[in-house]
Amino acid sequence: MTTSWKAIILIVMGLFLFSRILSGTLLFYINERFLWLTVLAALGLILVGISYRYRTEHDHDHDGHHHDHDGHSHGQLSWMGLLLIASPMVLGLAIPPKPLGAAAMTNRDISLESLTSAAAPEGGAVLSKPKTEKNILDWIIDFRQTSDPAALAGEEVKLVGFVYRDDRFAEDSFMVSRFVVSCCAADAAPLGLVVHWPDSPTLADDQWVEVTGVLEPGEFGGEQLPLVKAASVTSTDVPDQPYLYPF
Amino acid sequence: MKYIESHSSSTEITPRPAVGFFRSKAALRLLLAIVILAALVIIRDNELVGSLGSRAQTFVTIFLSIFIEAVPFLLAGSIVSGLLEVYVNSETIYRFVPRHPLAAALVGGGMGLIFPVCECGVVPVTRRLYLKGLPISMGIAFMLAAPVINPVVLASTYAAFGWGPIFYGRIILSFLIASVIGFVFHFAKPEDVLRSDQLAAIDHHQCHPHEHTHDHPHESGLNRFWNALSIGGDDFFDMGRYLIIGSMLAAAMQTLVPQPVLLALGAGSATSILAMMTLAFVLSVCSTVDSFLALAFVNSFPPAAILAFLVFGPMVDIKSSLMFLGVFKRRVVLYLILLPFMATLMITVYLNLNMSW
Repeated sequence: MTTSWKAIILIVMGLFLFSRILSGTLLFYINERFLWLTVLAALGLILVGISYRYRTEHDHDHDGHHHDHDGHSHGQLSWMGLLLIASPMVLGLAIPPKPLGAAAMTNRDISLESLTSAAAPEGGAVLSKPKTEKNILDWIIDFRQTSDPAALAGEEVKLVGFVYRDDRFAEDSFMVSRFVVSCCAADAAPLGLVVHWPDSPTLADDQWVEVTGVLEPGEFGGEQLPLVKAASVTSTDVPDQPYLYPF
Repeated sequence: MKYIESHSSSTEITPRPAVGFFRSKAALRLLLAIVILAALVIIRDNELVGSLGSRAQTFVTIFLSIFIEAVPFLLAGSIVSGLLEVYVNSETIYRFVPRHPLAAALVGGGMGLIFPVCECGVVPVTRRLYLKGLPISMGIAFMLAAPVINPVVLASTYAAFGWGPIFYGRIILSFLIASVIGFVFHFAKPEDVLRSDQLAAIDHHQCHPHEHTHDHPHESGLNRFWNALSIGGDDFFDMGRYLIIGSMLAAAMQTLVPQPVLLALGAGSATSILAMMTLAFVLSVCSTVDSFLALAFVNSFPPAAILAFLVFGPMVDIKSSLMFLGVFKRRVVLYLILLPFMATLMITVYLNLNMSW
């Protein structure tokens, strides 16, 4: 493949990353704390792309030494190679950016075991958070530190998450869920609290909702854990940070 | 090292072929690229792709997340490789290589402390060092160990686990396993280990040992710097292909294989370790952050399984083993997956059975 194609692809890749950073959709893919790395990468890609403009060292073949360098570095990429390198941008532009949702849950465990283990054991700071600001992860860490579903009974909660249901859920309940992401969406672990709400059937799967209500001791899938008795469930937009971060 | 373009059209327009990018033909290509991208956006807004289903959406999100997370590290490794090419010559490398093969493998295992690269960046750097005459054994030890034995990863492991058996266990096991496997490859001939194009490139370097560093004595420092960057760019393309295939495979596995099946293995002393190693292989998460990920499993898996995850994952995962294919022969890549796998498995199962943590 020629240098001009390489330069174009590198610059487009850099701009692609910048567009995701500026639109905020980069947080659909990675943990917020690695955002600066992506900024550096985008700048670096553009710089390397520009470097092809000033490259003076190239084409050693004109001095009469012919070695077989096909497919090797400084060499050419086939059209397949070109397509492959462009595929992140092609897929990224062709398919609208969307955070992981209920569809990704089907492949992941949502037993209590996974709920609590996904919450990394650094709950100290969480306890001091104002109760209205506590998210699903914070509440589950709280629960895990007491391990007693009754201990949190009566606490008022305000939670944002997407609706998840499978055949284990009764008619009047659903799970208000978020993914916990340590590093990138590849390691996303689902987390959620079961919500009791009479109008649950009106909710669509994967819809983002804000739930207010109180915690009460309950049981799900044979495990003792706190449930949310909802006072209200309202539809809401996808939050700026769709994932929760354990650290 | 041929450039189609330099031999065909743009040479006629400009005396310096690489500059052709900013002339007529390149402008046409840029236009084409923009048209394709615009078409994609239009297709997207027509909701034509909406029917692709949520599973495809999940696949794309996970694929892009692995790719975006790995790009900074691959780019850094590629740039380091470009800088090595331009600023470091083979004589310098030769002077630092220990004569004794075992010593060479051990030094290779510790070399990550000088080149702080993780598993994406280490492959282009290793490949470049091979061009500069690094022994096979030392390169393999470096490639397997560097993703753990480097300041960034040591710091993140310490941050996640503190001083304890997981922390020093990870360092010791990674270093030993990598060095021993590197040493084993001391007994293999380079032509049995490296890809043939890689060997040809080494030959090329040997017959023109000075061309890269002294070919253009008149060149300004800035020019050399641009050359280093663009050589890094070439490496980025060579390795990026494998990274992308690897990310796609990892994303496909994650979309299709249910994790509960894997995690249900958590109980047994050997199965728990196998489960965590498989998870490390499939998740393909960068070694700089995998400690934080491993934290999530400390309650459901024994410490030896966590250790296996932290030792095996950085050495071998889907994306790095695909990148190995850019440097080594296929059979050797198989060894480079199986040897660390067997070594990690045996040691951690032993630890699981004989240690109280």
